[in-house]
Amino acid sequence: MRILVIEDNQTTRQYLQKALQEQGYEIDLADNGQDGLFLALEGDYQLILLDRMLPKLDGLTVLTTLRNAGKQTPVLILSALDSVSERVKGLREGGDDYLIKPFALSELLVRIEILIQRKGTHNEKLTTVLHVADLKMDLLSHKVFRGSTEISLQPKEFKLLRYLMEHNGQVVSRSLLFEAVWDYQFDPQTNVIDVHMARLRKKVEFDGLTPLLETVRGVGYRMVAQR
Amino acid sequence: MVSVTEWWHSVKTAHSVWRLTRLYTGLLLSVVAILLVVLYQLSIGQMNRQQQLQMANIIAQQTSLAEQLSHEQFIEQFELQAQSSRQYILSYQIEQKNFGRLSAPPTALSQCPTLSRFPIWLDQFDEIRLVSGCSQPLASGTLIIAVDDESLYELKGQFISASAIALLLAVLLGVITGLVFSMRVLKRINNFNQVALRVESGQLSARVAVSEQNDEYDHMALHINTMLNQLQHSFETISGITDAIAHDLRTPLSHLRQQIESEMLSKQQLNHPSEQLQSMLDKLDEILFTFSAMLELTRLQQQKESNSQHFKAINLQQVIVDAVDLIEPLAEEKQQIVTIGGAEQFSIQGDATLLFRAIYNLLENASKYAGNNAQINVQLTPRGFTVSDNGPGICDLEKEKVFQRLYRIEKSRQVAGFGLGLTLVKAIIQLHNGKIELLDNKPGLIVNVEFIKPNKIKMDESIDPNIADA
Repeated sequence: MRILVIEDNQTTRQYLQKALQEQGYEIDLADNGQDGLFLALEGDYQLILLDRMLPKLDGLTVLTTLRNAGKQTPVLILSALDSVSERVKGLREGGDDYLIKPFALSELLVRIEILIQRKGTHNEKLTTVLHVADLKMDLLSHKVFRGSTEISLQPKEFKLLRYLMEHNGQVVSRSLLFEAVWDYQFDPQTNVIDVHMARLRKKVEFDGLTPLLETVRGVGYRMVAQR
Repeated sequence: MVSVTEWWHSVKTAHSVWRLTRLYTGLLLSVVAILLVVLYQLSIGQMNRQQQLQMANIIAQQTSLAEQLSHEQFIEQFELQAQSSRQYILSYQIEQKNFGRLSAPPTALSQCPTLSRFPIWLDQFDEIRLVSGCSQPLASGTLIIAVDDESLYELKGQFISASAIALLLAVLLGVITGLVFSMRVLKRINNFNQVALRVESGQLSARVAVSEQNDEYDHMALHINTMLNQLQHSFETISGITDAIAHDLRTPLSHLRQQIESEMLSKQQLNHPSEQLQSMLDKLDEILFTFSAMLELTRLQQQKESNSQHFKAINLQQVIVDAVDLIEPLAEEKQQIVTIGGAEQFSIQGDATLLFRAIYNLLENASKYAGNNAQINVQLTPRGFTVSDNGPGICDLEKEKVFQRLYRIEKSRQVAGFGLGLTLVKAIIQLHNGKIELLDNKPGLIVNVEFIKPNKIKMDESIDPNIADA
């Protein structure tokens, strides 16, 4: 797995390099937009981490040039520009995800995982029934079964469970869950997602059935078939 | 009727008005009274004194004549005197005999110089008149002298009633002009008071109205306004400085955060972090979150243009449903009930995430402060929405202040937060050309949000929540 990091701040660049290498990724670095764009066009990367403000060539320009050249490598934009309009702009220009500095490393790792995974499983999205262990979700009829028992879910709970099932085995952060279910781009900064998860858990893991939802401390949640 | 009683109440409560009016009326009354007394003394008083002087002269003359002349001579001269005197009625009584003009003198007449009134019958005019007179005992008989003062007496009466009317008019005039003038003064002073109250409650942009009279009050207003301008400027400078601090500290703090995470990583603890490092990270995140919120707030308040570039039509009802969906389990933990009311369907030009944050923040506040078992209601209104609860509410003095940066109500300090939430909500609502105000729910709080340009949605365009969630 190769990741390209285009970031001009030396401290952040070294930190990202160290952190990602620890996780087993191979890292290429660029400290300005020009070099970054060259590497992105030439190399074969699973993911590009792109800073928004760069010397020589601005992050957004790098992104549009890359997309115009037909490169569909997932791009995660890192930026201190946290105003909403900037975020919308970044995603509209072809960015796949957007993370505001300062970010938690755990959050970054979760999002990288999801982005790489998403690209890999892109073609399997046509499925209409999701399975995790004895949990079954019918996307057409909106019905959820645990074994043979039907579970009645609120619309938002349904979305929550669906996202977790689609990312079976992957750690999903609270803010990712919130963005996926509510479709608003910000971090509610409270334990509200935990409360929603507790509710969902009660419905899915009733009567002492095998737990399927695991809490990953300091990061988020993971759906696991077996322990 | 209501306005009169209200006016009366306002007069009664405004002590300075009463004091001024009383003083003014009292002065006016005493001036008029002094004038009347002087006038009386110069006219009727003067006539009275003259009359008494003449009567005393006549009595003295007759007394000395009675001593000098023989009885017959005295009677003779007295008759002559009594006939010739037109103004004074003279009579002399010796035992049962009467001389002079009175055929029968009255009994029980007071002794001179004290006068008493008695009626006489005038033959030549065939009428009864009241005269004032007195008796003076002489050597051989009693002298009676009287004067026809009925016209003077009437004049005196008229003077007294005229004076009474004058005094009454003076009181009326005093009260009315006193009230009018002092109310005018009070109104201008109240103008100052109201501005002071508004500033006190956090509305720093309030200014005193300056009239065109260019008097002392206007000078005072100008001075106060200048002072308020400087105050507001200082306030803005301070918030600018806090922004600069937040901005400058954010970078080193983010680097600190990275270092802590690196440390955790090198110890292979990322998924099982130590308590200590994790709590350091949590505290750091809190600081960073506050700084970000402060910077974002400034951006929202200042750069209206760039913030509204990407605005599009947002169905407000949908955003409200989403926000209620998010808060619902949190409210349920506190046995609170959250309801949505109103069937208004409209969209506004805006940013869905910002509007969601504003509405969610209001709901979160309601849930945080309204207490267990509270009822929270989001009501769609023709121009916006209200969020109401039946909690303790906010007192009038603090209703403006809670919108200030970093302001926290004293009793809410034990609840987590930084006093930026409502400021952010207000900035978001203002960015969407709306206004927000806090009202009393008796008991509880109503947050009323109104937008200037909401667009009605036709029913077929509206988003069905069920379809949207599918």
